[in-house]
Amino acid sequence: MLRSLTKVWENFKEYIVLVVLIIVSLITLSLNQKPAAKKIKSLAFGSFATFTSVISDVFDIAGVKGENEKLRKFNAELMLQVSELRKYGIENSELKQLLTLRDTSKFPLIPAAIISKSLSRSQNTFTLNAGKNNGLRPGMPVINDQGLLGVVNSISDDFSIVQTLKNVDLKLTVKDERSGVEGIMKWNGSELAMVDIPKTYDIQPGDRIVTSQLSSIVDIPIPIGMALGLSKVETGMFNEAKIKPYADFIKTEHVFVISIVESKQKNGLELNFYYRK
Amino acid sequence: MRSEYIWSIVLFFPLLIIQTTVVPFISINGITPDLILIMLVFYTVRNGQVYGTILGFVYGFLFDLITGSLLGSAMLSKTIAGFIAGYFSNENKREIYFKTHIFVLIVFLCSVVDLIINSFFSSIDLNTSIVLLLFEQGVLPGIYTALLSALIILFYPKRSIIEN
Repeated sequence: MLRSLTKVWENFKEYIVLVVLIIVSLITLSLNQKPAAKKIKSLAFGSFATFTSVISDVFDIAGVKGENEKLRKFNAELMLQVSELRKYGIENSELKQLLTLRDTSKFPLIPAAIISKSLSRSQNTFTLNAGKNNGLRPGMPVINDQGLLGVVNSISDDFSIVQTLKNVDLKLTVKDERSGVEGIMKWNGSELAMVDIPKTYDIQPGDRIVTSQLSSIVDIPIPIGMALGLSKVETGMFNEAKIKPYADFIKTEHVFVISIVESKQKNGLELNFYYRK
Repeated sequence: MRSEYIWSIVLFFPLLIIQTTVVPFISINGITPDLILIMLVFYTVRNGQVYGTILGFVYGFLFDLITGSLLGSAMLSKTIAGFIAGYFSNENKREIYFKTHIFVLIVFLCSVVDLIINSFFSSIDLNTSIVLLLFEQGVLPGIYTALLSALIILFYPKRSIIEN
């Protein structure tokens, strides 16, 4: 018996090893949502990110001069915009007071730097140098000056992983700012698109797409991108609107995490993607 | 041989740091080369198919853990990539397989297989043309990885490859 087993092993060891490892991989795939797996993951990337942050700092210093120059110009432009907006702001708050509406325009921002990027066609993730100790929680939106980049997915004490918009696992409720029509936006591996939208919906090329207040993940309006137009107009029951994101995922190095005050009621909902007790 | 096992694991970590910090700077339209796959093919051709399959599994596991991607996806794809690279591991033909153009082809083949398996696990969009999907997510990054492997193998001392 042992001899025949040894013979089988000798003749087919490559295939036996392959099959065993494939089975282990498939089992691991099914364990992704288990809290223990998440804990191990956060421990692993937390430890590794300490080393990555050192390398990232070196590159940061090299790019600081050029970035400073760009920021100074950007600052000047913003200053002009701010003075204009201040006028509207005062007017807006006066009007809101008259209508007794709650002010929802202020959100605390947590600054963070991207220390590593895992770029693939379908699962883009960033590692940030801010974590639980900085007040980050899973589900918090991550933005830069251009718009939404993604959502915090897992956290360790000092680091966190962000699922970017270019990640097939992240789906968000978004809306067309002009027409107000809403839909689900997802990354299909090659482009960002609002999917399964009825043919009657009005979405024009150039429309600004923002996150919708209906979203259980990001419920404040954050710019995402520009609609490029509808596809599948002739076939099928639904349309699809392609979106060009405002944010540049390759060049972005510094981000802000919006520390949205969690709604306990929403967090308790079973369907909430980032459901946490 | 035993030190070879340890080295291939130890070298993984600095390479992953480079992959996640430096490589994004040389990405073209979101297409990035996969340094880890190049190293996997290199060690597999040198040490055999069983070794390559196990190494692919270990690399995939560590990659999934550290980068926060779907746990198991890179494990599966890299295991199969390592297994395929193992077909080109033959002590008598090692010299041939480490010739730049042959090595590039092996890397390309393994890279395409790795990327296609990975993309099937993470982005099955039945509305997208399968040929286009294979081309965009498999062939293009595969070409980039293969080209980069040519540079690496060109400058790697040939004697140390063959003597080992």
